[in-house]
Amino acid sequence: MKKHTSAVWPLLCLLMAFTLLAGCAPVPAAPALPAATVPAAGPAEGSKIILRVGTGDSGEGLTPHQEIISRFEQANPDVLVQLEAVAGNDYYTRLLTQIAAKRPPDIIQIGDDAVPMFVEKGALLPLDDLIKGQDGLDTSIYLPGLAEPGKWNGVQYLLPKDYSPLGVYFNKKIFDQFKVEYPQDGWTWDDLLATAQALTQDTDGDGKTDIWGVQLPASWTSGFEYWVAASGGRLISEDGKQFAGYMDSPEMQTALKFYADLYNVHKVAPPPADLAMWGGGNTEFDQGKAAMRLFGRWPQAGYKTNPNIDLGVVGSPAGKERVSVLFWGGFGIAANSEHPEAAWRFLKFYAGEEGAAVWKDWALPAVKSVADSSGLSKDPIEGVWISELSHLAPRAYVSTPFWGQTADPALRKALETVLIDPTADVAVVLKAAAAEAQKALDEQMAQK
Amino acid sequence: MRASANSWGWGRGRRGAGQVVIYLLLCLVAAIFLLPLFWMVSSSLKPEWQVLANPPVWIPTPPRWANYREALTYLPFGRYAVNTLIISLGAIVGHLLSCTIVAYGFARLAAPGKGFFFALLLSTLMLPYPVTMVPLFALFNRLGWIDTFLPLIVPAFFGNAFYIFLLRQFFLTLPPDLEDAARMDGANTLQVLRHVILPISTPALATVVIFTFQASWNDFLQPLIFLQNQSNYTLTLGLNFFRGSFQVNWAYLMAASLVVVLPVVIVFFLAQRLFIQGIAMTGIKG
Amino acid sequence: MMSSRRREAITFYLTISPWMIGFLAFTLAPMAIALYLGFTRWDLFGAPKWVGLDNYMRMLADPLFAQSLKVTTIYTLVYVPLEMVGGISLALLVNQKVRGVGVFRTIFYLPSVLAGVAYVVLWMWIFNPQGGLLNTLLGAAGIQGPRWLIDPRWALPSLLLMTFWGWGRAMVLYLAGLQGVPPELYEAAAIDGAGVRAKFWRITVPMITPTILFALILSIISTFQTFTSAFVATNGGPLDATLFYVLYIYRQAFQYFRMGYASALAWVLFLIIMALTLVLFRSGQFWVHYEGERE
Repeated sequence: MKKHTSAVWPLLCLLMAFTLLAGCAPVPAAPALPAATVPAAGPAEGSKIILRVGTGDSGEGLTPHQEIISRFEQANPDVLVQLEAVAGNDYYTRLLTQIAAKRPPDIIQIGDDAVPMFVEKGALLPLDDLIKGQDGLDTSIYLPGLAEPGKWNGVQYLLPKDYSPLGVYFNKKIFDQFKVEYPQDGWTWDDLLATAQALTQDTDGDGKTDIWGVQLPASWTSGFEYWVAASGGRLISEDGKQFAGYMDSPEMQTALKFYADLYNVHKVAPPPADLAMWGGGNTEFDQGKAAMRLFGRWPQAGYKTNPNIDLGVVGSPAGKERVSVLFWGGFGIAANSEHPEAAWRFLKFYAGEEGAAVWKDWALPAVKSVADSSGLSKDPIEGVWISELSHLAPRAYVSTPFWGQTADPALRKALETVLIDPTADVAVVLKAAAAEAQKALDEQMAQK
Repeated sequence: MRASANSWGWGRGRRGAGQVVIYLLLCLVAAIFLLPLFWMVSSSLKPEWQVLANPPVWIPTPPRWANYREALTYLPFGRYAVNTLIISLGAIVGHLLSCTIVAYGFARLAAPGKGFFFALLLSTLMLPYPVTMVPLFALFNRLGWIDTFLPLIVPAFFGNAFYIFLLRQFFLTLPPDLEDAARMDGANTLQVLRHVILPISTPALATVVIFTFQASWNDFLQPLIFLQNQSNYTLTLGLNFFRGSFQVNWAYLMAASLVVVLPVVIVFFLAQRLFIQGIAMTGIKG
Repeated sequence: MMSSRRREAITFYLTISPWMIGFLAFTLAPMAIALYLGFTRWDLFGAPKWVGLDNYMRMLADPLFAQSLKVTTIYTLVYVPLEMVGGISLALLVNQKVRGVGVFRTIFYLPSVLAGVAYVVLWMWIFNPQGGLLNTLLGAAGIQGPRWLIDPRWALPSLLLMTFWGWGRAMVLYLAGLQGVPPELYEAAAIDGAGVRAKFWRITVPMITPTILFALILSIISTFQTFTSAFVATNGGPLDATLFYVLYIYRQAFQYFRMGYASALAWVLFLIIMALTLVLFRSGQFWVHYEGERE
């Protein structure tokens, strides 16, 4: 009858051992954050103000945050900053749940196309008074185009956290191998096609492509806005009310056809590996099997240390227009934050020169003076990204707060369709997309 | 007489061809099951740029053991492990205490309205979490429990439909003779439960422990919502950090996932021994 | 003097009181709120606004509602029976007194424990049409593999394939059930000259029917609520081929800010699952054999 106890002791010992081991495991030298067992919100009675900062960055991307936080805390000993990081889309799940219960963090990170929605719903504090006030901030310190995404209806709600324009990576190794000239700034769509064709090779004669010309980001909708803008088109009317006539315009058809043809007709782009992953889940460029890649600056650090790649970067090719598009994330203050004054101090520090000084080691700083003084503006690679900021075309979300519910799903479906079915008629697909987006938009407007 | 038969009904002493066939089958199925695991281990030992190489590299040479050290020091995984352990142990204790009592009531005691409550019990499993998540968060917020472990442990002390159901089914398979004998000797319900039922329920209890531990250890949505301060995070939240929004840090993710899964595997391995011992149906005298 | 029946009833309610308290506190409130929200429009930011039956009317006209129901039902109808057969088979296989069976049990259980994002992500890699494990193996055998998660026709079968490795959980449940079969029954049958097959179908199967019922009900309940694998692997695509119901709910709530509609959808799912469970439970009186039931 007592036989069953024989397993209990090993179990208990194991669990205890594990606890001990886990307790002794090395902890990195990150600033010690308080283990809160009582809710952090609420007025600080004579002790420090606790500022909660929500962010969707993860892993190594948190290091600049932590560095900035520790510098801020040293300069502001009455404030304790608590970073609440959640990777990826789960960040929004948690944020929205917190907002629903009226308990968001004091400082919130919002991605560019979600800004209008969050502002319209009253989640953010307008910053204009604080910017112009005593402890204000001079927003002209930013590089061109970086303050705008944080504005809605002329009022500033967020300040820049990080950003990236769209550009083209290229692998010099492959170019050298096939003796093709490196792409130059000012190049065109035709140049892109010609270069990609010259570099799409079947090196072992087995009938399958081994090296691809250009890796494209599959059904990534925001990225596709580059193609839309470069073809001279727009996704939505300026007043934000009409998709018909815009999403299915001849310019859009040109853009989508060119894009789809790169995959299906000229076959210079590797087929998407996974449509659920941002960018199509392709890894050819990472492995040195694609000569070019159209994307943002985010994976650059890995490319610089990747032995398969000898990295070069060039601006986006010109279609009918020479443009690039910007992807941006910013920080704002929650409308019902209990510490707006302290939150502003932190936001100003973070988004101003002090924060930029830290960011320059990790990503492109938003502040012009820091970009110049650190030499990044002149760097052969980083300088390309910065100069792309002079060619920005506005994205569709600036015309409507309903990008996520209307244009995004319709465009995604259109892109998926042409990628999955090479025989699809681009005009038909776009007409269907415009109709779908319009229907969703009309419904949203009716509810307003 | 010791329990010695397995479910094929072979008694003791059956050796030879039967055993060999069993072993062959076991090894074949095991090979299939181990395939993804093998791939995880292999990926965890590669430098990042080699993980997705095509054609795939089966065995990385040289294996990059440093991945493990780097992945685990990337974030305070030691702290996260302790947090997760506290939550898991709390949940186990809570379930063992509460679910056994409630399940026994449903299994053995008659009362008007019992069927209704049982249906109610089951129905609690049927409402999808994304919808109950928001009201639950608001509720725990009112209680001041957000950013503590309480929302993750306290509910376990009030039963859990899954385990109550499991134990109830199991109790129903036990012949009532032992309990009847004990009651005739004057035992009340709790005593019957403790001295008669529980000792012969070890497989079911082991199942509760195994599943509870695994569920708590691997839980993602609840810690995501209820925990805020990073020093309160659990291991799954930590693992999620390897999934950057545009790039998965594969090698580290695989390495860390394998380490994180180890305790669950060990708990299982130790607890499943209780399945071998089975029910010792010592002869009922008299 | 209280009748023993009355006493038994009181004892019953005492024993289930922990659960009842927890139910009232942690479950009833959220469920009731979700029911209420189903009649409102709420974007999570402001306050819910009553709209009556609007959400339910919307459901009737919503093609994606039908699509998600279809996807989820097909998936469940295939997965649940397979999991039962697979789980029982594995449990039988490891319910042996051979040396090292513990290792095998652990191996079979392992993949279901690895569940979670890392695991799904691993499978996405295995299904990669270009250089993933599956297509590489197929290619070595001379077969051009399909595009798996990218192909609308193969996406759902791919997800099904992925989940077969999760049979370990069912195996554990059935193993516990098998362990509850008194060995005397086998011995008695052996004395009567019963063979392996007879012992299996006449003793094993009837004796584990409570476990089967349990496992089936739980399997249906949880499979209808599949979320993580669809969310991570395909995000409902391609072209809504893997738009699982709970994924659709999540999307409506957190991407479209339609919490009211999401709640209505959730309650419809609840009712569907409830109906199926009731049917299954009722059917139990025909095929489930309780050794020790006292009613």
